[in-house]
Amino acid sequence: MSTDPWIWLGAILTLMIFSFLFKDNPFYKFGEHLFVGVANGYYIALYWHNSLRPNLVEPLSQGQLIYLIPLLLGLMYFARFIPKISWLVRIPIGFMIGWSAGVSIPATFQAFVLKQLEGTIITPSSFTNAASGIWAAIILVGVVCTVVYFYFSKEHKGILKPTARLGIIFIMIGFGASFGYTVMARVSLLIGRIQFLLGPWLGLID
Amino acid sequence: MKWFEVISKIDRRIIYLLLTLFVILPLFIPIKIPQNIMPQTQKLFDFVDSIRPDDKAVMLSLDYTPQTAPECHPMALAILKHCFARNIPVVGVSYDPQGPGLAVEAFATVVDDINRQASIKEDSVIYGEDYVYLGWKSGRIAALLEMGESIISVYPRDHFRNAVDSFPIMARVKNYKDIAIAIVLAAAAYPDDWVLYPQSRYGIKVGAGLTAVMAPKYYPFLQTGQFSGMVSGMKGAAEYEHLIFAHGYTKDLGTAETGMSAQSMIHILIIIFIIMGNIGYFFSRRKK
Repeated sequence: MSTDPWIWLGAILTLMIFSFLFKDNPFYKFGEHLFVGVANGYYIALYWHNSLRPNLVEPLSQGQLIYLIPLLLGLMYFARFIPKISWLVRIPIGFMIGWSAGVSIPATFQAFVLKQLEGTIITPSSFTNAASGIWAAIILVGVVCTVVYFYFSKEHKGILKPTARLGIIFIMIGFGASFGYTVMARVSLLIGRIQFLLGPWLGLID
Repeated sequence: MKWFEVISKIDRRIIYLLLTLFVILPLFIPIKIPQNIMPQTQKLFDFVDSIRPDDKAVMLSLDYTPQTAPECHPMALAILKHCFARNIPVVGVSYDPQGPGLAVEAFATVVDDINRQASIKEDSVIYGEDYVYLGWKSGRIAALLEMGESIISVYPRDHFRNAVDSFPIMARVKNYKDIAIAIVLAAAAYPDDWVLYPQSRYGIKVGAGLTAVMAPKYYPFLQTGQFSGMVSGMKGAAEYEHLIFAHGYTKDLGTAETGMSAQSMIHILIIIFIIMGNIGYFFSRRKK
């Protein structure tokens, strides 16, 4: 069994949170509130030491006055709380939206639209071996049918009906895979906690 | 109460108890369940294995959180062991605020283990020469783009407040041209940003180590070649551990490999519960 007080603290807090599985109780509430408080404290300290101080306070204290511009932009967000000058908040928001749009739109189009379309298109190179050819065809059919299912501008009649039905099957397979992976992820977290309790805390496993 | 009503109304606490038992038992009595290596894990392993020693570096972005550590932490340990065993320089960064603590622990665990076993200086791993951890940075999009020009301009100081330009490793790793692959170990959508910005603009290779929940979303990135490999969930971590063990890069398997026995047992239990629930539902409907 561990003699490290931090391990003990971690183990006791883990058990407090697990106690919710039986029913809601004051131990669980204490663990939950402590977590929220510690998380807030951690984030404030991290942002101060790793962001505000090195990127704003230190350069300003060294006389780099250019940093007054981001300081002013940041302070303008707080204008929201003063009705008379609340319009000032539009300036930093406009700056952020403009910058984000300029940086993101071309990159998103290139990486998430064109590249993904490229991955769906069947070319002679898709058939370098039988398996990759079959999978390429399945992906193409799956994508087309799923997109047809979400095409609501025309009633799903005629050729659209079986195509949309096939699309539902692909969607269901996708949901099934997501569910399976989600179960695996959640169980992994439980395994991790139990490994911690049985290993570092109780010393029953390596 | 009829039998089919009993099986469809099991108290949730009994289910929790059974789940806990099915997790604990395989940890004491390991059940050998054969591991099939998934192609995406093999691809990432092969990529790292093909990097020439003492040449380009691996950039490891450690962006997972304590709650997802059981999945991503073993991946970090396995990839670090693989890189250090092959003398591949490693540059660590984080963009999730919760990443740094786990990142420091991952580096310390692997480095201490290697250095304990090293008999000569050449076999040991030295901070600043073989690896560096640059720490967490806010404004990650700007940081990711700027690193394409100069890593030192984004990180003048490392996580421990040392001047980065004093490290020998940074003399040869100046920007993305000196990075063979960026491997993002993430519990949120951080790999999106690596594909969107550094890859689109600078063509950097990206690999991913993801929680299992995220994996289905990222499979299309393998199909398009935007990911040069992917390790997903505890299973992926166990596969990577298995691969480095099989290739002689480590002498022991990690926690993911032992956790997978419990994982498999739990899956069997959940399948049984799903079947029981469906049978109960089916017979209840027939009765109505």
